[in-house]
Amino acid sequence: MIEPKDILVVIPAYNEGTVIADVVRRVRDEGYPYVLVINDGSADQTCEEARKAGAIVVSHLVNRGAGAGAQTGIAYARKHQIAFIVQIDADGQHYPEDIRGLSDAMEEEKADIVIGSRFMRPNKDIPAIRVIYNKLSNVFTNWFCIRWYSDTQSGFRMLNRTAIETIDLHIDGFGYCSEMIILGEKKGLKIAEVPIRVVYTAYSMSKGQDLYMGINTAMNILWKLVSHPK
Amino acid sequence: MQLELYQIIVPLVSIVFISSLLQRFWAGKSGWQEAMVGVFFWVAVIFFAFFPDLISQTIAEVFGIKSNINAVIFFCLGLIFFFQYKLFLLFKQQQSALTALTRRLALDEEEKQKGQ
Repeated sequence: MIEPKDILVVIPAYNEGTVIADVVRRVRDEGYPYVLVINDGSADQTCEEARKAGAIVVSHLVNRGAGAGAQTGIAYARKHQIAFIVQIDADGQHYPEDIRGLSDAMEEEKADIVIGSRFMRPNKDIPAIRVIYNKLSNVFTNWFCIRWYSDTQSGFRMLNRTAIETIDLHIDGFGYCSEMIILGEKKGLKIAEVPIRVVYTAYSMSKGQDLYMGINTAMNILWKLVSHPK
Repeated sequence: MQLELYQIIVPLVSIVFISSLLQRFWAGKSGWQEAMVGVFFWVAVIFFAFFPDLISQTIAEVFGIKSNINAVIFFCLGLIFFFQYKLFLLFKQQQSALTALTRRLALDEEEKQKGQ
């Protein structure tokens, strides 16, 4: 059985000073003692707030993007021989209680990567614009995949040791979500999905991608597939 | 053959660039592919300076372009796209290097703080 002490919860964060402490506390209160915040060149008090809340903080000197932050978390886990990592968003949209569901699925399905999917159960709380954007991203990402995934853009994921050793993300921005799935399939990793809950607030809505970023993300994925096909 | 001023200046400049490319290659600062592409480009520029009408008309005929002026414009657009692509590649390489450096520094700094 996967124990909470075997899991490192990784939270890439950029200018999340107002919410990061609450997110870290909620994760720790749920029984996960090891929380790593990747402070991605924030200009606010993200680093101090995360430390005060009990997280280990690794700070990028300059902002490099969500994908770069996620890969730094993977590199940290490799360096410290961590057995499992769970990545969650820093804006507070995910429920730390759902980590249990991801680790159970990892054991039951013998998966290397488990994605927390917002769309496996009907969820009327997700704003329509987000549903449309995510559906479009799913079509685009699944085009390059063998299987069909219901939430390719979810930032709530769990990786086991094999995935930690195998995954090398090249996309610095939001495109890393798609890249991880495409790369995972290419490397023969088993990818599972479990339903998760999600809460959207005005704050988390202000943090997501817009149309311009979506197009940029799609271009980055295409470029990655051309420049790093393996 | 009466030479115009540009037909003296352009080949001289090209020769300077060719010698610089060859020096870089012999000093081991660049690969043979880079040196070859560069030398080919500057030799082509010399030929173009000496025979502008003949070359532009030949390009126009080969590609079915109506006039040699259009051929020159298309050729220049192609060159601009090529250099744009080279710049994009360089930009991507620099971005990757910057991310790798940032990550390395961040992990090293965390290790140092843990040791204190």
